Amino acid sequence: MGNASTFGRRGWPASLILCGPAVVLYGTFVVLPAVLGFAYSLTDWTGWTADPNFVGLDNFRELAGDERFAAAIRFTLSETWMIVAFFTFGSLVLAVLLDRLRSVKGIVRGLFFYPYVLSILVAALLFKYLCNYNHGAINLLLRSVGLGEWAQDWMMDPRWVGYFIFAMVGWSAAGFFTTLYLANLQTIPTELYEAASLDGAGPLSVFTRIQLPMLVPTVTTNLVLATIFGINLFGQIVVTTEGGPGYRTATVGYYIYWLGVKNNRQGYASAVSFTVFIALVAVAIVQVALLRRRQVQL
Amino acid sequence: MQKRTGTGACVLWVAVVAGLVLSAGCGKDADSGKVIRVTRNIGGREGFRLHFKAWQEAFERDNPGWKIELIDLGNQNGDEFYKARIATGDLPEVVMTWQLTPMLVKGNHLVPLDEAYYGKFGIPLPRKYKGRYYTTQGGIQVQGIAVNRKMWADVGITTPPQTWDEFVAGLAKLKAKGHRPLVLGGREWSAFQPLFYAIATNMYDRDPSPDKPSWTIRRNRAEVRFATDPTARLILEKMIHLLDNFVEKGAASDGYNEEQRIFYGGKGATWMMGCWIAGDVEANQVDFEIDYWPIPSMTGRKPVLITCSVPQSGWAMTTSATGEKRAKARAFLECFYDPEVYQLFLNGEGQFAAASKVPVKGPRSAWEPAQRLFDNIQRTMDEYGTTPGFHIALDDMPPPILFSNTMKAVMQEMLAGTRDVDRLLKMLDDDWDSALKGM
Repeated sequence: MGNASTFGRRGWPASLILCGPAVVLYGTFVVLPAVLGFAYSLTDWTGWTADPNFVGLDNFRELAGDERFAAAIRFTLSETWMIVAFFTFGSLVLAVLLDRLRSVKGIVRGLFFYPYVLSILVAALLFKYLCNYNHGAINLLLRSVGLGEWAQDWMMDPRWVGYFIFAMVGWSAAGFFTTLYLANLQTIPTELYEAASLDGAGPLSVFTRIQLPMLVPTVTTNLVLATIFGINLFGQIVVTTEGGPGYRTATVGYYIYWLGVKNNRQGYASAVSFTVFIALVAVAIVQVALLRRRQVQL
Repeated sequence: MQKRTGTGACVLWVAVVAGLVLSAGCGKDADSGKVIRVTRNIGGREGFRLHFKAWQEAFERDNPGWKIELIDLGNQNGDEFYKARIATGDLPEVVMTWQLTPMLVKGNHLVPLDEAYYGKFGIPLPRKYKGRYYTTQGGIQVQGIAVNRKMWADVGITTPPQTWDEFVAGLAKLKAKGHRPLVLGGREWSAFQPLFYAIATNMYDRDPSPDKPSWTIRRNRAEVRFATDPTARLILEKMIHLLDNFVEKGAASDGYNEEQRIFYGGKGATWMMGCWIAGDVEANQVDFEIDYWPIPSMTGRKPVLITCSVPQSGWAMTTSATGEKRAKARAFLECFYDPEVYQLFLNGEGQFAAASKVPVKGPRSAWEPAQRLFDNIQRTMDEYGTTPGFHIALDDMPPPILFSNTMKAVMQEMLAGTRDVDRLLKMLDDDWDSALKGM
């Protein structure tokens, strides 16, 4: 308490200096663009001129009947659902298995984390080449082992493209989510494992009775982060499918880019962006509130 | 202790900020102001690279102390790059405009050129845009169909098919003989070429009059729509037939580079691509004969090539070029018609001279198959003529998104199995309506 009050009264120059740059950067590059974005959503700005016209709520009215926006939301949610399930629960299982490794633990963990170090663009380019129908490594491998009939156009066939994007994202970021769980697993007191061992608990009991309850805070974190990951899908789409085939893989992020950059409708793109922002804030509030309550119960 | 920490942090931040301030501008040399920045879509195209290098050298030779800085946009056109630069007030002094001239002019980003510029080199005046001229008029870019002569001769066809049905019958013969009849990738912009050809040559007047509204003008006035135009429906039905029968499985994941490799590798009989491909024949050491055919009609007209030279599309000075830089930017545009530079431009794009006062004749290549293709394109132009396709002038052009995105998306939908023509027509209409709001 004494420290806090000292800091509060006399340490303000230090707090200003320590936090100031971050606050200024955040305000300049996050808050200000968001505010300006809302202002632009009330205009017909094309991006080519300096003088947008005020159009009131016209953009929001158009949005209400925009079928392509609805399709983008559906696709984004379907990808997000898979991504959240995999990063929240798949990574959990992966982390527990990795935690049990007795040898080469570091190397195996490193291999899992390695794809996350690559930039999104590199990972996407890699998948683009892997999944080309004629020259991609996956189909070449299938053909070389006599399974040529299984070769598919993974990237541009509507039946597969959703899984292609999911696989690309899953491969890239599984290491990150797994590492969060692994870090949490290291904090579980060994006494609990010893006690469980004395009680004759098997691996499943250890997982359900000790590890899972102790990991719930990280489950909460991963759930929120994975949701953000799914909703923000963009770079991978630009590099690989460009929203295709047709507009079938246009995520909300890609649709905003398509409207604003490709279609010269910055004003309308801002309206879409602002609407999505409000919706996401609402989802995040509900999600965090529910999960915090669940944590307390556990 | 906290006071000391605060003081230390304060000193650290002051040092960092001072360092940044002091280091600002350290990378600039004394002559950094004497630079004209120019955009160009070179990517992996050797012909384009050679041309730009010669242009740059000609300018720097004639303007000692001044430099040209190339901004290579790769395979993209400039719209994303230009908008980003407009937002930061840092548009290069000279830009390639493609179909973006209207947007750049509306934003007051281009500096008009006077008629004297065109007169100096004997260039036919381009159509005015909002009453002014803006761009170099490089040559005549035409679009038609490149064919592997040997493969088509193998099925007994040595002259251009006169109708779309004849063309398709030829493709069927090629397929029956075991050849890949058509090279088409679905992943990138090039997927739209067949649809673009069909719309441009069947829905637009071949010899349009500025007094008569084009399909574009009537569409903008909502007098016509894709959904209700029988020719548009016919085109989509024929496209579905084309893709169903002559495009191989997996083509959807190929892009322009794969198309080029297949055709120049002698593994495909037909490639619907513009004359610029001829500029790559020598660079790729293509050693077989390529013919260049006009686009056959679906509606009983004579086959024709599409010319892209009518609207103003080329290089233009921007309002970033002020004072002495504007004079130098203008000097750079004049160097475009330096005979050596202009020849390399024609070679690189497979284009034909439009500047009568420049002592240059057509594209030239020491590589025999390339020169034969250039000559073949010229003969086809002489025999069949050209149509401006979509537009009479830039004011008359469909929304650019229709070219680069919508038609590609429609073709991808067909490749993906969509057979609902109404839905495909609606995609075209929806995008047109939406894009009009961004024009």
